[in-house]
Amino acid sequence: MSEQAFLVLTALAEEPLHGYAIVQAVEQLSEGRMVLRVGTLYGVLDRLVADGLAERDREEVHQGRLRRYYKLTDSGVRALQAEVARLSANVRAASAVLRGRGVQPWASRA
Amino acid sequence: MGEQGMSNLERRYRRLLRVLPKWYRQDREEEMVGIFLADRTDDLDLEHSWPGWGETGAVLGLAVRTHLAAGAALTGVPARVVWRGEVVRALGMIGLLLGVFYAGSAITSLAVAYGNPEWAPLITWWRVLDLGPLVAFAALLSGRKTLAKIAAFAPVVLAVIGLVQPEYALLWSLFQLPALVTFLCLCLGFHREAPTPPGRRLVWWGGGALLLGLLGGFATGTGLLAIALVTVVLRVVAFVRGDFVLGRALSLFAVLQLAPLAFLLVGGEALILALPLVVLLVLSALAPVRKPRARMS
Repeated sequence: MSEQAFLVLTALAEEPLHGYAIVQAVEQLSEGRMVLRVGTLYGVLDRLVADGLAERDREEVHQGRLRRYYKLTDSGVRALQAEVARLSANVRAASAVLRGRGVQPWASRA
Repeated sequence: MGEQGMSNLERRYRRLLRVLPKWYRQDREEEMVGIFLADRTDDLDLEHSWPGWGETGAVLGLAVRTHLAAGAALTGVPARVVWRGEVVRALGMIGLLLGVFYAGSAITSLAVAYGNPEWAPLITWWRVLDLGPLVAFAALLSGRKTLAKIAAFAPVVLAVIGLVQPEYALLWSLFQLPALVTFLCLCLGFHREAPTPPGRRLVWWGGGALLLGLLGGFATGTGLLAIALVTVVLRVVAFVRGDFVLGRALSLFAVLQLAPLAFLLVGGEALILALPLVVLLVLSALAPVRKPRARMS
């Protein structure tokens, strides 16, 4: 799973979101590292919908503009769970190695 | 909303979105414009701004994906778009198999040249690039699409190196046309979200192509004959089995093979060999394809 897909799934896990809210949520979750372009966002969403991990929710009109919401499906929740397990295992392994070198796993941010 | 109340910026974004296929725009345009223009309320900004390079690039990328229907990665795709994408991917795969064949014969001819002082100048470091298609094929089957594209670019580099001999430039570049087309097909058809091709079956094909190439390296000049014959046979098989994608891809492949042969014909060289091959390839290119009815919807 790409980092983009992972962050979009994470954003949708909180609540159903429309496109612009997903872009904002992903930026927040990644602490500003990832700003999704619209073309990229839809590439990711198309893939998630086709894989059955996300689906279309309600539509709203906000200030004359269409907002379509997307939500996580049950298998989307499971996919996110599996990815979290995989990443946590990696983090645990790397932390153990660093501790073995006498280094703190989490460097304090400058 | 009519054109009247539209800001310049909105009009520019809508114009950019026209690179997307119509069926996709009908579904998504309003939603996307909404995101583009969210938070853009400044009148001056709305009047004088243009879509940024990054956004433009991302929309162009999305356009390639949607026009070539990245396998199963989209829903509600018209059948003809799915076919188009499949044909591009199949052509890329056939081109890679051709590259594997060439890599095989390059290995043999280099091994032969190695023992012969007369041919020693043929062995240069950049001949390593001959193996590019092998790497690309293995990388693609294991899902490493970026590596596959980089490796598939190797024969294109070789083609450019070969252009230093101007007297053979045209013939040489015609022979290298399939390599260039293969590279383009890989770039267009196998982006990150595209499905990984079915490995097990293709490994056999790759092995076969490599073996043919290794053997063919001993008999210079039989390469074109072997490729054309395999193309024709597969084309017949595709027709009999009603494999639309393979059939169309092979037709295009036959056209690519025709270019260098036609050049030989015009030059009056190798007439006895080239003429029947041209006829066979023209037949391959023009032969009808059958669409399996059950799968079309």
